[in-house]
Amino acid sequence: MPYLEIHDLTVSYEKNKPTLERFSLHVEQGELLSLLGPSGCGKTTTLRSVAGFIKPDAGQILINDRDYTRLPPNQRDIGLVFQSYALFPHLTVFHNVAFGLRMRRIPKDEVYSRVANALKMVGLEAFADRRPAQLSGGQQQRVALARATVIEPQVLLLDEPLSNLDAGLRVEMRQEIRRLQQQLGITTLYVTHDQVEAMSISDRVVVMNQGEIEQIGRPESIFAAPETVFVADFMGFDNHFTAVVESVRDSKLTVNWGGNPIELRWHSKFGSPQSGARAEIFFRADNASLLAGREASGLAGQVILHTFHGNELQYLVETEVGELSIKQDSASERFAPGEAVTVQAQTQKWIAILEDREQNA
Amino acid sequence: MMIRRPNQNRTIILLVAPAFLFVLVFFVLPLIFLLSQSVLPEEGGFTLQGYLDFFQSRVSRIVYLRTLRLGLIVTGICLVMSYPAAFVLARMPARRRSFLMSLVILPLMTNAVARTFAWLIILGRRGMINQTLLSLDLVENPVRFIFTETAIVLGLAQLFLPLMVLPLVSAMENIPDDVLEAALSLGANRLTTFLRIVVPLSSDGLVLGATLVFTGSVTAFVTPAILGGSRLLLMSTLLRQKAVILFDQHAAAVVAVVMILTTLAVNLLLRVLRAQQS
Amino acid sequence: MVSRWMYISLVILYSFLLGPFIIIFMASFGANANLAFPPQGFTLDWFANVFETSQFIDSFWVSLQLALLSTIVSLVMGMPVAYALTRFQFAGSGLVETIFSAPILVPGLVIGFAMLNFFVLLGDMQVMTGLFIGHTAILFPYSVRVISASLRNLDPYVEDAAVSLGANRLRGFLLVVLPNMQAGIAAAFVLGFITSFNNVPVSLFLSGPGVTTLPVSMLSYLEYYFDPTIAALSTLLVIFTVVLVQTAERVLGLSQFV
Repeated sequence: MPYLEIHDLTVSYEKNKPTLERFSLHVEQGELLSLLGPSGCGKTTTLRSVAGFIKPDAGQILINDRDYTRLPPNQRDIGLVFQSYALFPHLTVFHNVAFGLRMRRIPKDEVYSRVANALKMVGLEAFADRRPAQLSGGQQQRVALARATVIEPQVLLLDEPLSNLDAGLRVEMRQEIRRLQQQLGITTLYVTHDQVEAMSISDRVVVMNQGEIEQIGRPESIFAAPETVFVADFMGFDNHFTAVVESVRDSKLTVNWGGNPIELRWHSKFGSPQSGARAEIFFRADNASLLAGREASGLAGQVILHTFHGNELQYLVETEVGELSIKQDSASERFAPGEAVTVQAQTQKWIAILEDREQNA
Repeated sequence: MMIRRPNQNRTIILLVAPAFLFVLVFFVLPLIFLLSQSVLPEEGGFTLQGYLDFFQSRVSRIVYLRTLRLGLIVTGICLVMSYPAAFVLARMPARRRSFLMSLVILPLMTNAVARTFAWLIILGRRGMINQTLLSLDLVENPVRFIFTETAIVLGLAQLFLPLMVLPLVSAMENIPDDVLEAALSLGANRLTTFLRIVVPLSSDGLVLGATLVFTGSVTAFVTPAILGGSRLLLMSTLLRQKAVILFDQHAAAVVAVVMILTTLAVNLLLRVLRAQQS
Repeated sequence: MVSRWMYISLVILYSFLLGPFIIIFMASFGANANLAFPPQGFTLDWFANVFETSQFIDSFWVSLQLALLSTIVSLVMGMPVAYALTRFQFAGSGLVETIFSAPILVPGLVIGFAMLNFFVLLGDMQVMTGLFIGHTAILFPYSVRVISASLRNLDPYVEDAAVSLGANRLRGFLLVVLPNMQAGIAAAFVLGFITSFNNVPVSLFLSGPGVTTLPVSMLSYLEYYFDPTIAALSTLLVIFTVVLVQTAERVLGLSQFV
């Protein structure tokens, strides 16, 4: 049963140029749902609408069956974590966390015990008397989390909470956020532009583009089977080229790969593709391998460049479908720039996407 | 960082309106009225005769050119005095610099009458300089310094020097040590480094400082009033004379508008220079 | 990069900047009435004379009231403007910025002259009211700029954070924004106060019979008398300013806003 429901939400900053138009989304109780997309895709607008900072032109927001659409932000029971943390610089950690409880006129003893408990959950018991400026970025982030969750909100909203941290800390903090969210069983909307972050933390991911949902699903399925070119690009497929469909048989289609037919999984918005249609082919760098010399079994190519990454070598290979990026085990045979090679396709994880309506009608 | 909200216009109007109306009614309207006074004499309709009279009169031409000339001299003096000193200040450890900078700000926060009065003591008939000259037998009778252009220039330079030092120091603070070391390591000597690295990189502060000093000098009233008096008029003292002694509001309005246009032109020039730099 | 001879430039700069103050200081204690240099003897008579001259005492109170009133009003009205400029993107923000920096660009003497003529046009206006309007107008650029600088240092999302935790907009502002602006407000106050307290050009035309500001009355005193009383008064004012500015600098870091 959906806990947070967004129905046909329309928001425009400028007249007649809606950032969101009839946008709908459901989040299940206790679920962590990520809104993933580039800046300007409407994910932050969605989140700020749920928080109540943006009054939508049309549409409805329901939480636990209660209509929140016209409720002012300070009367919504929502925990919000900001990209900049937005801690109150003049208040100690304790008073930052206690702020929401004070606003709710909770008795002093209870404020004290709940703040202490919240600080304990994020491991900051010892820092209660510090000012935000005396804390590291990760610690500030924890204070922001404690402040947003101590009020036991109905929904927790996180707006790019990790983008101000360095890479190592980001991994640690996203595990922390996930742990806390599961411990509290709190329904959470998480906004990010980082694909890896969304994949690692979410129950479900919504990929957004220009105010629309491109794809929605479990992280694994989005990672393995993007349904649109946009999602595939966003999911970090290293290689992309266009090919002509030779034939279609049920769930597979066939395209030409250096004179050999290869069979690929496909996805199309407009029904079964026809032969002759243009398909966008995507594969990751580790789903192909290189053989020395020209072989009939694959696509001919020439090594342009190689770079070393610990236990892997990454090659840039010039072929008739464009420059391809291919990873090889460092223990395998090495190729020098200029050397002729053959690219062997490992097609199980390749994907063909058809988006051209005209050719697929 | 800005937050964009839909339907924010009402809030903005409520926030800005009171002060905006105040400035509009009590600042912009008087200036528009002033402009109308300068082209509408008490009898007769619209005319530019006031401006023609101003530029055809030998006296006001002399006063206008003198004002501009002294402004340029003062700006030059301030520039020469500030430039190397600002560089030294900018390269100092922060604590010592902040102490010395507060000494630069201090004169700025004392009223101009007090600061100009000191020059009467220094330059007066029995002032410091005359007493020194007399006791060294360099002159037989006291030299008249007060009511000379020299006195006005000295007074104005002292008054506006901080306005040159402050922007220069803040521009030079932003030049990283690395950049200077890079120049030295590439074979430039100190003078070349100063001329080809420091000067261009601090030109922002220089242009701003020069504008502040120049516009300050050509519009200052107290210093020319005390050290120039009615014998050596500048635009500001001329305005006062026309308005208060000659009771010619029309001519005074013309002088006032010429003063506004002069400062606006200089500030416009500043904008153009800045736009070119960026 | 800094060589020894460059320190000489520092010595020249500071002698020129501060030398006149030392001379005023010496003159205010000298016994000779004609300001001959070097001063002979030692006396506090000139200080006594300052306090016995009613025109100084009266104009001091005028200046004090005027500076306090116009600074407070320019802050109260300027703060919402600074808030709008730093927190919202809107068409016309450029115009608002220009309007509120304009009083710095127009020569003070011209402002005073234009206002006087305009007030005469409006009819009977109290001298103090005219002075108050003139000073408030010229203080807006300082208030708006300093408060804006202080608001820019505060994350705009702290207000949203307060609101999401249950505070309404006004409480959010009072509990979260205002406490973080204390230093900026105090700096703007000191700057505004000093600017108004020292102003001559705007006050000159707007002063009237019996109501004059201190610097203007010092100037008119100089037209008739040439004795160290002004030096003594200047010494007192310098001490007053030093105390004020040093306190502000120590406590607030004033120079970052100037």
